[in-house]
Amino acid sequence: MTLPARAFRMARPLAVLGLSLGLLCYAVPAASAASAAPAASAHTVSASKGIGWLRLAHLSPNTPPVDVYLYSFGNAHAMIVLKHVAYGTVSGYQSVKSGDYTVAMRSAGAPARSKPVLSTSVDVAAGDAYTVAGMGPLSGLRLQVMRDRLTTPRGKALVRVIQASLQQHQVTVTAGKQVLANKEAFAKVSSYQVVSPGTWNVRAAGATESAVAKVTLTAGSIHTFVVLDHPGHLWITSLEDAAGSRVFPEGGAATGFGGTAAQAGASPAPWLVTIAAGLLLALAGAARLRRPRRTALVARGRVR
Amino acid sequence: MKIRSGRTAAAAILACGMLAAGAGVAGLIMVSHTGHGAVLAGPPVAIPAPAGRQAAPPETAAMPGTAVARPVSLVIPAIGVRTRLIRLGVAPGGGLQVPSTTAVAGWYTRGPRPGAIGPAIIAGHIDSYRGPGIFFRLHQMRPRERVYVRRADGTLAVFRVTWVRTYPKDHFPTAEVYGPVPDAQLRLITCGGTFDPALGSYLSNVVVYAVAVR
Repeated sequence: MTLPARAFRMARPLAVLGLSLGLLCYAVPAASAASAAPAASAHTVSASKGIGWLRLAHLSPNTPPVDVYLYSFGNAHAMIVLKHVAYGTVSGYQSVKSGDYTVAMRSAGAPARSKPVLSTSVDVAAGDAYTVAGMGPLSGLRLQVMRDRLTTPRGKALVRVIQASLQQHQVTVTAGKQVLANKEAFAKVSSYQVVSPGTWNVRAAGATESAVAKVTLTAGSIHTFVVLDHPGHLWITSLEDAAGSRVFPEGGAATGFGGTAAQAGASPAPWLVTIAAGLLLALAGAARLRRPRRTALVARGRVR
Repeated sequence: MKIRSGRTAAAAILACGMLAAGAGVAGLIMVSHTGHGAVLAGPPVAIPAPAGRQAAPPETAAMPGTAVARPVSLVIPAIGVRTRLIRLGVAPGGGLQVPSTTAVAGWYTRGPRPGAIGPAIIAGHIDSYRGPGIFFRLHQMRPRERVYVRRADGTLAVFRVTWVRTYPKDHFPTAEVYGPVPDAQLRLITCGGTFDPALGSYLSNVVVYAVAVR
């Protein structure tokens, strides 16, 4: 056996070994990096999970109490039934899967199968909130769907006004000196106004009556002020539609010191590489162990 | 002689290879037994669900002044957590202040109180330099498990886990975690993912989302 041939034979497994090692060194960190990537970093969890919110309200002053039914579209069985909902009532938000819903109103105590007085459909988008309210006078009662805001400018509160007083046809609502709704007509909904956080003297003034309330607005909260007829006078109520943190901390939380983390050298990658290298080396050794035996036999044959 | 020496060399290579592979397997076994699995192998300590007056969540968002009392303790039977709650603010660097000890969790006072409308924030450490912290098992929580917060007036706020998420810290979804929501929710925050010894911190945060049970 000449030296170059031997060297070549020895070099071949080594080359294979080197190549394999190189590939492994590439592949293992890439694979572990892929597994370390976050499972989900959707911007809003609610949106990604297809959840929205709905609430129901009765804001028609001269309409008697009603039963309010919420159906998911095409389903004859009501998901939610609110019994004997009187004027001025606003339910809490109900979280629902995004999709089409039907809201129906029946006179309080009317059979569930009876024809509703009113109904409307609502398309709930994931991550959004809606108020469905019976609005207007009894003679012109309608179900209005409002899309409710769920974000505020940083450090501010948002307020809108629903004018549900029939006795005062136009109402102006102020918080301190800030006008939130100017001469708002009955059954109208104002746009959202940005208000600084704090405790405000809120005043609703009609032509002949007014109402005052002290309302605390925190940064990151969203409110709906509802102007209502109360027997003999005007009334203003504040609904906290949504709230967030008053201050958003920056970034993530430093909630660990690493005492239970896998140690730096404890990544499986080097060990996997060692196993692969060892196996390749063993294979190379085994191959060489077989090969010389064959050459020996050939040599013996030549002698004969 | 030539043949014998060749065979010896081959046998030596084979033996070295086997040894290296064996060492690799041993190392791999060692690695898989350090880290999270080894520190607390047993099941969490059984903690019963607390009983008590369950304050109704804000069903009708009526007049203000229906403020809930501040939270004082936290119980999570599913992962064996029972701790008092300290108060947390914003750290000088602008991030969320975290408890100075890894044995308790803390409530972020510049957010809603647990049970009030909005996302109440509770943070705790996954570990200390030496071992597990109060939220060591937080990443093991699953949807529908219950979280109980006792308040200063003795009432209990009960939450149901909806989602568990892991976010890289450099892509932490601040608005999603701290931003407005229209119902009473809770977020439990700890660390997770890979620990970077150079930075001395984990690279991800685990956030458990929960909603008040009606």
